[in-house]
Amino acid sequence: MALIVLDSLTKRYPGVTALDDLSLELEPGIVGLVGANGAGKSTLIKVLLGLVPQTSGSATVMDLDVRREGTIVRALVGYMPEHDALPPDVSATEIVAHLAELSGLPRAAARERTAEVLRHVGLYEERYRPIGGYSTGMRQRVMLAQALVHDPKLLLLDEPTNGLDPSGRDEMLELIRRTGTEFGIAVVLASHLLGEIERVCDFLVAIDAGRLLRAAPLGSFTERTGVIRVELEDDPGTLAERLTAAGLQVRVDGRSVLAVLEDASGYDLIRDLVAELGLGLTRIEPERRTLEDLFRDDPGAAA
Amino acid sequence: MSGRGAPLPERGGGQVVAAGSAAGSIYDLGYRNYVGPRLGRRHALLSLIRHSFRMAYGLGRSGRAKIIPVGLAVLATLPAIVALGVTALASQLGAEGEIDRANPVNYESYYSIIAQMVALFAAAQAPELLGRDLRYRVLALYFTRALRRDDYALAKVAAMVLAMLVLILLPQVLILVGRILVSPDIPAAIGRDLPKLLPVGAMALLTAFLLGGLGLAIASFSPRRSFATAAIIAAFIVPPIVVAAATEIAGEDMVAPLTLLSPPGILIGANAFFFDLSVVGETAVTLPLWMYPVAGVVMSAVSIGVLVWRYRRIEP
Repeated sequence: MALIVLDSLTKRYPGVTALDDLSLELEPGIVGLVGANGAGKSTLIKVLLGLVPQTSGSATVMDLDVRREGTIVRALVGYMPEHDALPPDVSATEIVAHLAELSGLPRAAARERTAEVLRHVGLYEERYRPIGGYSTGMRQRVMLAQALVHDPKLLLLDEPTNGLDPSGRDEMLELIRRTGTEFGIAVVLASHLLGEIERVCDFLVAIDAGRLLRAAPLGSFTERTGVIRVELEDDPGTLAERLTAAGLQVRVDGRSVLAVLEDASGYDLIRDLVAELGLGLTRIEPERRTLEDLFRDDPGAAA
Repeated sequence: MSGRGAPLPERGGGQVVAAGSAAGSIYDLGYRNYVGPRLGRRHALLSLIRHSFRMAYGLGRSGRAKIIPVGLAVLATLPAIVALGVTALASQLGAEGEIDRANPVNYESYYSIIAQMVALFAAAQAPELLGRDLRYRVLALYFTRALRRDDYALAKVAAMVLAMLVLILLPQVLILVGRILVSPDIPAAIGRDLPKLLPVGAMALLTAFLLGGLGLAIASFSPRRSFATAAIIAAFIVPPIVVAAATEIAGEDMVAPLTLLSPPGILIGANAFFFDLSVVGETAVTLPLWMYPVAGVVMSAVSIGVLVWRYRRIEP
């Protein structure tokens, strides 16, 4: 069963097309939704939740139409909006238990799950204090807890590391990764930070200006390119000349030489040449494509 | 923020895993999948009504949140208690007939006694029910539950109406019980007062829907509680002032239709209609009395319609 199916999904706001004829099928897993700010990530998530109606096309989540069966979809989906959405004068326990009931959990179960989930995200005694006194990191944990409290089949996270410091960011990403891999909850993680997506996700959907750029397993975005990067302490000019003379395709990039290798004998050639020229070698590594290349190919795409 | 004081794992299935950086660790005591019932939209709606009703009286909140709603409820009930005391005393002295005729506190007069309290309750508590979710953008979390936007708006109406019915009916119930208990012939007293329940109930429902609905409709446009409260009070007191001023200038007959747009005018007329009284005083409520409850129902329906429309359009 496909987790999410989009069919020619289009959303127009006055003067701007946020989603443009998007067709896509996603299987359960940890899916990164990547794109610049304004690419349509948040709009797509909001359409999946029935928060905004699409202009045309259709979207289904777990074979349920997001428009016609919205309440059933939402009972099975957890959502973390990109903005803070917590009232300051209630405690984490109160708001999370209340929201759990609104997702359909009976009262006693809502309370029990609230305690468990708040512990899962790392909130202990402070969960009884008003949220107004929490740090940004704690508030983001409460936001994740309210998205998880009804044990959803799918988590939609919109920029979940917004406003967090580096260690808070690491912890949040680790929590998301474990939630996605260990508890059978599919995750869609929207972010404009490619590094986050690379660390957590196993499938990637790139959108730009509301259009689908690419959807593929993460590995295929960063596969080896057959290019080797040789980083030197000295000027790489001589090495580049010698390699070219040896018949390799070569490009100089700062203190590095990028060479296209046909087979493993290229490694020996490089080693021997570096030794012969007496150059200081910093490292040799296979060059991977990075997610940034995806956007660099298209000058219209921001990033 | 750390795992300080974290209890040991209590149940199977969870292993203790310390992860994260030195700044703070996450001790996992085992996330478990939920296998219990999922009750869906009806349960969500009832939960929201219950939660909002408790909010209307500040229940489960700090003492400060209770002062206004509970204080107004006490003020609205005091006249009934005092009147009952006087009646009880009088009947001990064998003078209940005279007191009963002179007593200003009875079913048909009670609305005019507590009108201010009821209006203030709507003005203070309607923003309480809506403002927090608007101001802190909590709606994004509500609208992504097993609810629809309309459900949210209608649950708030239900909670507000219930809260106002408590405020309005509690003193009426006291009057009823008191009158029956102090009466020498209890079955006869029940027979005498029971028919009054119909107009009492009708008047209470109309008041609750009109003032509660109007209050919520106005409050839905302002995340700031103080602005919303001021706007609701204005909606309750400005129309009668306009009516009074217009009466001075144009005369009562010309102004009478205006009273159908004034919430207090509507309620004075409706009270007279339900209890079969004649309206006295400078109110310009001179149209046929049946028009007032009809105007009240229309204004309530329009208010609730505006509220639902507003919540359909809000970008959470």
